[in-house]
Amino acid sequence: MNENKFAAAFKQNAIWLVFIIEIAIFAYFNPKFLGLANIVNISRQVSYYGIASIGMTFVILIAGIDLSIGSIIALVNVVCAYLMMNMGWNMWLAILISIAMAILIGVLNGWMVASIGIPAIIATFASQTIFRGCAYLLSGGLPIPGVVLEHPTFGFFARWSLNRWGIPGDFGLIPICAIIMVICFAVGSFILNKSYFGRYFYAIGGNEEASELSGIRVNKMKYLIYALSGFFAGLAGIVLLSRSGSAQSTAAIGFEFEVITCVVLGGVSVAGGIGRMSGVIAGVLIIGSLKSGMIMMNVSEYTQMVVQGLVLAVAVGIDCFSKKRQSN
Amino acid sequence: MYEIDSKYSAYYNEIDPKKRLVILDSLPEDEADTFVREVYNDRYSDHEGKGRKNIDWWLWRCICLQILYGRGNFLRRFRDREISTIKAELRMNDADEVHRQHLYHEYRNTCRRYLSTCRSGNYASRFMGFRQASDEEKVLKACEDVWQMSSGVAKKTGNSEAMKFWIEAFRDELYDYDDICRDEYKRLEEE
Repeated sequence: MNENKFAAAFKQNAIWLVFIIEIAIFAYFNPKFLGLANIVNISRQVSYYGIASIGMTFVILIAGIDLSIGSIIALVNVVCAYLMMNMGWNMWLAILISIAMAILIGVLNGWMVASIGIPAIIATFASQTIFRGCAYLLSGGLPIPGVVLEHPTFGFFARWSLNRWGIPGDFGLIPICAIIMVICFAVGSFILNKSYFGRYFYAIGGNEEASELSGIRVNKMKYLIYALSGFFAGLAGIVLLSRSGSAQSTAAIGFEFEVITCVVLGGVSVAGGIGRMSGVIAGVLIIGSLKSGMIMMNVSEYTQMVVQGLVLAVAVGIDCFSKKRQSN
Repeated sequence: MYEIDSKYSAYYNEIDPKKRLVILDSLPEDEADTFVREVYNDRYSDHEGKGRKNIDWWLWRCICLQILYGRGNFLRRFRDREISTIKAELRMNDADEVHRQHLYHEYRNTCRRYLSTCRSGNYASRFMGFRQASDEEKVLKACEDVWQMSSGVAKKTGNSEAMKFWIEAFRDELYDYDDICRDEYKRLEEE
């Protein structure tokens, strides 16, 4: 029995072992990989992946998918920058409007999936195309530069860090965006583990009809989950805009696949109903370290794409293989 | 072992709550009647007080047990507290002989209602519903689900003795569900 418990615990936490091995390999080939500057850089880099992956985790847990998050990020970038730069709106108001818009896009996705009955992959693919197009239309296909230059406070979300006294500013050790990511993961973890909503997510992913019979309003929950996905994508968009300093309608192309890789790699089953937030954190860190490690080892961008595709295929493959083995 | 008055057979065979109430109302009253009604009201009422309708609280607790089975060990304290609550809600500690006979059949009815959802098109599908599961895959998944919400969670949380009665009811219902369930259940038990 103890052996079984050990095996189960090992299986549950194997993803962290993969992360440690990955770190060890990159550190062996390039000792600077474990340097403070690189760790801070990785934490900045993974922050918006991490934030967006929380919403995606909820969606995949109910056996859905959200392919629109890359476009939501691009549109949030463009709308927020447009309101601030072209219309002279207050920074906080522009952020609020942009995130509210992201939530509304999520609600629209939820409506298409839950009320109309369009398969999630098609509904969110349609949203992806529509809102990427909206981003191009609004920006005219051109970047909106100088956001952080004109509004230095906007740098707070990704460029600022906490110094040793905990005061935020341009120079410091702990990036604010990493703190935002940690807070988001804590909230996501609380929702999944401690709230009734988390239970509902698992229940719907495990057996939708039984959930309906037991009294869960499945359609309402789907609206909520896609809205949450939109919210986290919107927040990730604000962090990305703060980091890049200029809005691009081409931002975050293919981003959804990287986020899906993080989530599935973290053990969230594409069949729904199975997964933990701690695994997703490991998945995000693995992908972030992999990207950073490959850059430090001068691996070309095209090769990086090949590697990331392979990681996604392997992650989904392992999930499917384990399901197939169970059913055999 | 858990034989009850045959007049209750139709009541325990029916899984639709409204039809069950009609059957219950048509039955002549006896000593067990008050308890059976109490269990009925308990099962189909909103324990969270959110004013929701069409609740099957016991079915929800089955699903909760399955979710608890899938949880890691680091939240053990919360998990154990919840198991205790569920045991109390599902009256697993009731020692009265007549009550236990009725509870056994109510548990089987709950399990039957869960299993009735396991033939639906979406159940056990893969890739966001793009690949539908075969009938055999659905039965195997149903076996796994029922095992997890009964024997599996009991073993994992050290409640095998306290939940013995619940486990028996779920196992017996599963054996009646499909021919392959007996072997699958044994395999899961051995694993």
